[in-house]
Amino acid sequence: MLERTGQAQRRARARRKGVGQSKSSGLLWIAPALIVSVGLIYYCIGYTGIISTWNWDGVSPTHQSVGFGNFRQLWADPVFWGTLRHTLLYFVIVLVMEVLLGMVFAALLHSKVWLGAVYKVIIFLPVVLAPATMAPVFRSVFAPAGQFNEALRFFGLGALQRSWLAQPGTALGVIIAIGIWQSTGVSFILYFAAMGQIDGEIIEAARLDGAGNIRMFRNIIWPSVRGTTAALSVLTAIASLKLFDIPYLVTSGGPDFGTEFLGTFIYRVSIPQAQVGYGAALSIVLLVLAVTVAMVLTLGFRLRHRSE
Amino acid sequence: MVRKLSKKRLASRRASILMVGIATTVVGWCGVSSSVVDASASSIPTVNWWGWTPVTGLAALDIAAFNKVYPNIKVVYKNFPDANYTAALRPALLSGVGPDVFDVATGGQVGAFSEFVPYAINLTPAMVKLRGSNWATGMYAPGIADFSLDGQLRVVPVGRVAAGFMWINLGLFNKYKLTPPTTLAQWVSVCKTFRANGVGSCFREGVGSPGFDVDTIHSIVNSVEPGAFNEALSGTIKWTNPAIVKGLAIFKELSTDGILDPGADGFEQYPDVNNAFLAGKVPMVQMGTWYQQNTEVSYLRANVEGAGASANSKLPTFVPIPFPNVGGHSVALFGDPDYGFAVSTNSKVKTAATEFALFLSSTKAGQLRVADNFDEYPVLTTLSPDFSALPLVVPSLQAPDLYKLAALVNQVTETRNAQITSVMDTGIITADQSVIDGQATPAQAAATLQQTQATSPYVK
Repeated sequence: MLERTGQAQRRARARRKGVGQSKSSGLLWIAPALIVSVGLIYYCIGYTGIISTWNWDGVSPTHQSVGFGNFRQLWADPVFWGTLRHTLLYFVIVLVMEVLLGMVFAALLHSKVWLGAVYKVIIFLPVVLAPATMAPVFRSVFAPAGQFNEALRFFGLGALQRSWLAQPGTALGVIIAIGIWQSTGVSFILYFAAMGQIDGEIIEAARLDGAGNIRMFRNIIWPSVRGTTAALSVLTAIASLKLFDIPYLVTSGGPDFGTEFLGTFIYRVSIPQAQVGYGAALSIVLLVLAVTVAMVLTLGFRLRHRSE
Repeated sequence: MVRKLSKKRLASRRASILMVGIATTVVGWCGVSSSVVDASASSIPTVNWWGWTPVTGLAALDIAAFNKVYPNIKVVYKNFPDANYTAALRPALLSGVGPDVFDVATGGQVGAFSEFVPYAINLTPAMVKLRGSNWATGMYAPGIADFSLDGQLRVVPVGRVAAGFMWINLGLFNKYKLTPPTTLAQWVSVCKTFRANGVGSCFREGVGSPGFDVDTIHSIVNSVEPGAFNEALSGTIKWTNPAIVKGLAIFKELSTDGILDPGADGFEQYPDVNNAFLAGKVPMVQMGTWYQQNTEVSYLRANVEGAGASANSKLPTFVPIPFPNVGGHSVALFGDPDYGFAVSTNSKVKTAATEFALFLSSTKAGQLRVADNFDEYPVLTTLSPDFSALPLVVPSLQAPDLYKLAALVNQVTETRNAQITSVMDTGIITADQSVIDGQATPAQAAATLQQTQATSPYVK
């Protein structure tokens, strides 16, 4: 009996130390993820890289190798540069607004607000609504005889009425507004959770020391949620680069490419225009941009955090 | 006691396992027997047909007509929205499986012939077998030409459509005692009257939608100089030709002179414009022959309901009118096969697939079925829709115009989409949009079009 107990203890110690476990068993555990990652994702990326050097319609049994021809075409394509401008504008405005609104809503709902749970649902609802469901609604709202123009007229701002989706500038504004409406729910939830992590005693102590709301926000809340802001920046940057559903469904990337983003442009050239090689070159650029932006933003926040 | 209970449980478990085993065996044998039945049933070949047109309901009628003659071939239809069709078909054919029969268009962005012809078998021998060595006699010649490659018929045209005219809501015109415009000046005047009476619309178009907007600028340019639009597409003349520039300038005038409804750049032809017209809110639209189904009561009622209007509301009376002479010449219609059938090189039931493709496209019974669909014209030129047999909304007002239209459709010589690559399709739409929204002058837009055509090295 004693001997058996001793053996069990030795086995337990061995397990704790990792003795007797081969490295191959660890590999076995990560194999499924490894196969999926390498076999699907990285293989597809590599294959897209190869296609980016072809002139191919995506269906012909043959293709023509053009080297970096698609990338040269891309460099000279004004629509491509337009997509980058739109993406940058979308990213900056949506990020600023979602951070601002998310933080304000989170701060307000951390105080004891009547029907707070209802407000939370209302703020978060746009996140769960499918873009395909909402797109016709937005097309109707911003149509020449739509509810937005009606509202402007009702409030005596009839001079501002226009065909919002028919002008490149205003159509882009509509897409950005929808982006803010859609993403504020996520930023609110993240900030709400992050603010919940702040130690109540610190806030109490700051109050006792006479800190006002602005001082509290600048010196306690903002530093405490910096990680959340960094994560939001990276998420919004990648979402901006990948943006497809709303511009495609609401404006089809138009008018006059005024709401064309990288995602809609890749779709346009790859599917309706059958320039799959050119679309693959755009996809590679998108991948490089996404990885670079994510790295730059993450490193930037990390360095700033260390310096402080 | 405990041991006894355990034994009982063990016995019960064993019995359960035995029962499950027996049941599985029985079910397994049933499966085998049913698969044997399936195997015998599978001697009936199944033809998988993919297309963006016709709609599923009409396809079922097509298949039923085919099965009356060929009861031993099963046809399964899969309908795709226009925008998704090419994206679905491309990988399906590339993977070596996919449909046995698939829809093909002459050009444009949906199922273009030039893109999918490598996967279409040569149908000439089958056609010779069906219709003899003079098989092309009595068939729509432009359709045969559009779908042939190196002297081989690779796609059989099924139906044909034409554009280059407009549809009006006769009720609205009669209400304000207006006659359809025949010149640009009359068009401006008609629209002024509509807008002055608070109709809120005159001529509505989705300038961002592929196809429809291109038909409008095609009509305008041809009114300036007949044939110039397709000459520019083929490279016979440049897009900077004065006829094209003037055409774009007239297009701009439609917008500035109150003809084109505001917001045209933001509308989609389907559903925005279509729904508004069917709901009786818009006096004029530019649509082709496919729209004549909206003169027939049952189709119109269904479409009006689909557009969100009340099914009990009074049905509008739509009639076709010639495109106004806006540039100095009357506008002739232009047209193409609406779609054709290709039999896939990957198909394992090529004979059955060919029987189906040829039945609907090249036999009298199949083409009468196409004519009955009323949204396109048969490609056997001896057949045409019988408007007298259809319950039109107001037969006395509509039938004469529909017969006139049918006569014009039979005179079509100019192609609609066959010469338009998908890149030029986008280029033309962008040119129109940039002219309307003031981003470019007509001359600048024409120059951009010329550049698009000349400097797209990686375009098919």
